[in-house]
Amino acid sequence: MSREKLQQLGLELPVLPTTSVGSFPKPDYLMKARSEYAKGKISRQELEEAERRATEFWIRRQEELGVDILVDGEMYRGDMVAYFAEHMPGFESGGLVRSYGNRYYHKPIIVGEVKWPGPITVEWWKFAQGLTQRPVKGMLTGAYTVMDWSFNEAYPDRRAACLALAREIRKEVEALIQAGAKIIQIDEPAISVRPEELPLAIEAMHLTTDGLPAYFVTHICYGAFEQIYPDMLQLPVDNFDLEMSNSGLDMLALFRQHPYNKDLSFGAVDVHNHQVEAQPVVEERLRQALEVLPKENLWVDPDCGLKTRSVEEATEKIRVLVAAARALRN
Amino acid sequence: MGLRLANHSSYPRIGESAEGQLLRRTIAQWEKGEKTDADLRAAENRMTELAIEEQVAAGLNVVTDGQIRWYDAISHLAGKLQGARINGLLRFFDTNTYFRQPVITGRLERTGPMVVEEYRFAQQKTSRPVKPVLTGPYTLARLSVAENGTASLFENMLEDYTRVLAEEIAALAAAGARMIQVDEPYLLKRPQDFPALARALDELAARKGSARLSLALYFGDVTALYERLQKLPVDELVLDFTYSPRLVDAIAAGGSDKELGLGLLDGRNTRLEDVGTTTRQLERILKAMGSVSATLMPSCGLEYLPRDRAQLKLKHLLSLRQALEGSRV
Repeated sequence: MSREKLQQLGLELPVLPTTSVGSFPKPDYLMKARSEYAKGKISRQELEEAERRATEFWIRRQEELGVDILVDGEMYRGDMVAYFAEHMPGFESGGLVRSYGNRYYHKPIIVGEVKWPGPITVEWWKFAQGLTQRPVKGMLTGAYTVMDWSFNEAYPDRRAACLALAREIRKEVEALIQAGAKIIQIDEPAISVRPEELPLAIEAMHLTTDGLPAYFVTHICYGAFEQIYPDMLQLPVDNFDLEMSNSGLDMLALFRQHPYNKDLSFGAVDVHNHQVEAQPVVEERLRQALEVLPKENLWVDPDCGLKTRSVEEATEKIRVLVAAARALRN
Repeated sequence: MGLRLANHSSYPRIGESAEGQLLRRTIAQWEKGEKTDADLRAAENRMTELAIEEQVAAGLNVVTDGQIRWYDAISHLAGKLQGARINGLLRFFDTNTYFRQPVITGRLERTGPMVVEEYRFAQQKTSRPVKPVLTGPYTLARLSVAENGTASLFENMLEDYTRVLAEEIAALAAAGARMIQVDEPYLLKRPQDFPALARALDELAARKGSARLSLALYFGDVTALYERLQKLPVDELVLDFTYSPRLVDAIAAGGSDKELGLGLLDGRNTRLEDVGTTTRQLERILKAMGSVSATLMPSCGLEYLPRDRAQLKLKHLLSLRQALEGSRV
């Protein structure tokens, strides 16, 4: 069914199409530019020049590696929630909180009614798509995750905040579609943390996507999937992008118990490991996936965003992933 | 005695000011070999002092050391034991924070103090009573994994963790701790394990000496367990009201034989609780408790908040008590 939808959208993809989850490592010159911008040493325009240069680098790199569905690499984003919070009225940047060890991040605070301010990611999508003939995914963070990863001072409860965000993020989806995006990924990594709130996340995704003409992907990771599967299949998306390799392909056992009925972007390389997997290792993971899933439903990508790897590691991980997918196409 | 005010457990170890960055900066330099172990210890000490100063300044009757030295609630304790090694990151309950999972390789042995020295340091810095906090044996066992992956070892892990924590509690009491808090959030995920936790608490309580023992439960709804909790061998129940919408009603209806730590202020959200609503909740609870003491506190550790917001939460405790006293006049 999803293949039909892709065809209706004018997208012809090979068997076992390859893609990426979203982020790529920022090249050194961009890291330097971000740091200098933060210190007020360079202008916004100079930072954006570095971001465009890095985006073009990753589009070219993905083309060279033979990836089928591209991403812009999120060169212009720091954090996947803070980025949207910085652009949407209703948010305030919060102080630092600890993630783990010596890692900290600025956690946004919802202080008023959240509002879509006009296109947030659309110009970046247009820039990236303008560099290639291959489809580039539109990349957004879903309402449930934005809510869960923010403090809420403005709405009476989590549900109200989540649904308000869903309505506003829908406007960004519409703007991406208007600009020509056909595949839109709406990431919800927080979705599996409170299984009792899965119905809320599903309701929010309906508000964000219902009736809109695009092929929708959602990325979920770090989760207790056993607690939300198969109910999570009710999320109104065409494709789940799941971390599989980091968890020893445990999800496949769940799929055997209860059939999986959507397309799957199968995380075939571990992004938390510096070591680049050998091609036979990746092929074996895909073979195991194909024991459980029809070939026409399987997409191939890394477990998660590659931004924590070096440029070289990310490149080699994508290279081996593409080679393995191609080897199994025949 | 009127309503006491206390911190729950952790406190932010970072702030936006230059001094607030001291520990982060020092750890980063220590990792590169640019700072010594003594430098790191000095930075931890300084941030602990600041955490205590801010709690005292907020008017708290009972403070903690802020758990500034803890990598996380699990590995900080397990990592000090023989028979455990520390592995990769896992999400800590439904928070967006992570802990390192202990792998149990053999019989657990306490080879030295786990938090006693941290307690001594903190208590030297203030005349207010410092409450040492330990993650409890049941939660530690549930969040550990046996090296060979066999689940059947849970009972052994619980037994081992209980034994070593009982030793630590005895050492804390001997060092002068007047109250000791044991955190067992995992119970709310598996209430069917209540008997196992009760047995573990029996062992801990047997070693507490003259200290008062508190049991802290959070990140889940505690209401269904409330009556059974009253039978546990602890002096105080520290409860998270933010996940328990009917808990005020339950206490108002049944009172409490035990002292209560009232976690009415959300330690996970920056919003300051409405004074009217919260004082009405407090009035209902305190009326039902009669002469039994109560302590107002955040629902969990304050490390989930930015430092400026954590300070405001603590100050809000005092505002609420003042509003309560005002409403009683």
